[in-house]
Amino acid sequence: MTLLQVDDLVVRFRTRDGTIHAVNGVTFDLEEGERLGLVGESGCGKSVTNLAIMRLLPRPAGHLEGGKVVFDGVDLARLSESDMRDIRGRDVAMIFQDPMTSLNPVLTIEEQMVETIRAHRKVTKDAARARAVELLTMVGIPRPASRLKDFPHQFSGGMRQRVMIAIALALEPKLLIADEPTTALDVTIQAQVLDLLMNLTTEQGTALILITHDLGVVAGMTQRINVMYAGFIVETASTPELFEAPSHPYTVGLLHSIPRIDAIEGEELVPIEGRPPDMRRAPSGCPFAPRCAWRLDVCWTDNPELRPVDPSARVVATGATATHRIACHNPPTAAERDAGRPLGDRYHPAPPPPGMLDELMSARVGASNGTGESPDGGPSDGGPYDGGPVGSDWPESASVSPAPSASGLPIDPTDGGARG
Amino acid sequence: MATAAATAPRTITERASRGIWRDALRRLLRNGPALVGLAFIGLFLFMALLAPFLTPYDPLAGVPQRVNAVPGPGTPGHLLGLDLLGRDELTRIVYGARISLIVSVGSMLMGLALGGTIGAIAGAAGGLTDNIMMRAVDVLLAIPGILLAIGVVTWLGRGLPQIMLAVAATNAPIFARILRGSLLANREQDYVVAARSIGASRIRILFRHLLPNSLTAVMVAGTLALATAIIDVAGLGFLGLGPADPRTAEWGTMLTDSTSYLRNAPYLIFFPGVAIVISAIGFNLLGDGLRESLDPRLKR
Repeated sequence: MTLLQVDDLVVRFRTRDGTIHAVNGVTFDLEEGERLGLVGESGCGKSVTNLAIMRLLPRPAGHLEGGKVVFDGVDLARLSESDMRDIRGRDVAMIFQDPMTSLNPVLTIEEQMVETIRAHRKVTKDAARARAVELLTMVGIPRPASRLKDFPHQFSGGMRQRVMIAIALALEPKLLIADEPTTALDVTIQAQVLDLLMNLTTEQGTALILITHDLGVVAGMTQRINVMYAGFIVETASTPELFEAPSHPYTVGLLHSIPRIDAIEGEELVPIEGRPPDMRRAPSGCPFAPRCAWRLDVCWTDNPELRPVDPSARVVATGATATHRIACHNPPTAAERDAGRPLGDRYHPAPPPPGMLDELMSARVGASNGTGESPDGGPSDGGPYDGGPVGSDWPESASVSPAPSASGLPIDPTDGGARG
Repeated sequence: MATAAATAPRTITERASRGIWRDALRRLLRNGPALVGLAFIGLFLFMALLAPFLTPYDPLAGVPQRVNAVPGPGTPGHLLGLDLLGRDELTRIVYGARISLIVSVGSMLMGLALGGTIGAIAGAAGGLTDNIMMRAVDVLLAIPGILLAIGVVTWLGRGLPQIMLAVAATNAPIFARILRGSLLANREQDYVVAARSIGASRIRILFRHLLPNSLTAVMVAGTLALATAIIDVAGLGFLGLGPADPRTAEWGTMLTDSTSYLRNAPYLIFFPGVAIVISAIGFNLLGDGLRESLDPRLKR
């Protein structure tokens, strides 16, 4: 049964510097007990999506501008704050990135756990305390009864994250959102915490949304993955399929920019050039186009919808058999996704249309405010956003430049490898 | 056997010290200037609390002396001499500490209650409420403290409660501002979002999470407010706005009473002055020490 339906979710931040288009129409479903990974680089809107689901967007800047978040048949986006409060913790819980700061430093673990339990359940203090001990045992904290009396600073980072997990699971929520739960932890602890998270959610039948920028983390834990870029879902597939046949240029780029244990010896890493777009620009065209080596002219003007990779496939939204869908006009071929770059005569990514050049430039000037980088010229270290093509010899007309290396795109593996 | 196993690791935990308060205290006791401040405050409290037992003399009554023959410091039986009305100077200083303590602590608590409430409401409510309250606070802050205090005393008349209220009025806006700022800073902390994510109500977040974490800033401000209160009280006394009974041993009033005889009995200015300076410095040093020991960013 479908537990959560996020439909065309739009989130904007109104700041003094303009409107941030943080989430631009995200749609996905989640089954009961399903484990979904949400992957993307910093600022791609993955955390904001989930804060919006929880209705915890930072005030007053954050606004849920549109869309529906149907959880268990109720649209959370239209719920009153007090009804929402009942749902938080009881039905949906969250684990945050930094366990060092997500516990109140002046309250003991006991106070914080008992408080959570009693906020939602009419139980005595003793019963709540007993439950807290049980939960701490469950997450593997030794001597739970005496550790309850301790303050957060007396726990290590890994232990604190275990406590956070215990608090989040205290009321056996139907959905647990884990926002980079292991990013702040020691590598040796990461696997332990992930195992724990996996085991407990499986035992309790809790659905899990795992937000991360680490593809290694989602690989072993989730059944399905949504790849996000600039506030859009650009690819969605079951986990094995995504790693087997990544189909969006961004996903291909992501997979090629991390070292793999099964890599062919001598294979170079291919970084994704440039940087994420300035989210203050209203999206037009494909958000990944400026960094994409596969882009066509149409990519600059038309943002593709999420469509099945196999056009004849019937769309299944959730579960391990979910249809593999991407939002791309010119997906890489199988050979290209293995190489991590366009092959053959597909070397020449389309330049931006003349009008857009100015727009990109002005956005760039605004974005580089104070970074000391000059918008024209300057040392180019990447794609169009980094000044290279814009300031150099990129022709203003739409004719294709025969000098691909001047565009600074990742077409020369040695060059790219040296930088990566 | 079970107990033996339980005690061994337990001592380690306990040695790691319990709570942020003990940590802070330990850091405070290693801070030299703060210890000096504590010593000054100790002396001040000692005089204020034990005044009747420290001196056999009456601070209010005495035999008037001739202006050019006032018995000065070192007079047998009178360590700091007598004043013009024949009252023992040391006795008056000791009793003066009492007045200073009562008024400064009283005004600090009143200011804290008033300013704390304003700051808490503004910080918790935000928006228009916050704006209106903070602009009012800005207006009060724009008026120099001593001027505001003079205004309040002239309006309400002389007397200890009035002085307390006057000094409280100068401190309240400062408390309001500090508490609000601290609340706003804490509101963006992860643990507050985490508390919201498990369904804690606004009231609960304010009282259980925000206020306790803002307490340290207020404590520091409170200690420093004691120092300014002592100076403000003396200032009011010096301006003739001291306690209703002009005979009262109050440091600022003692200064005013002696200014005309500076040539004949300069020590009558000197000793109350020293008393004011030492007690004010004491609270300042302690306040700074507290700030350092409570601020996690300055942890050593």
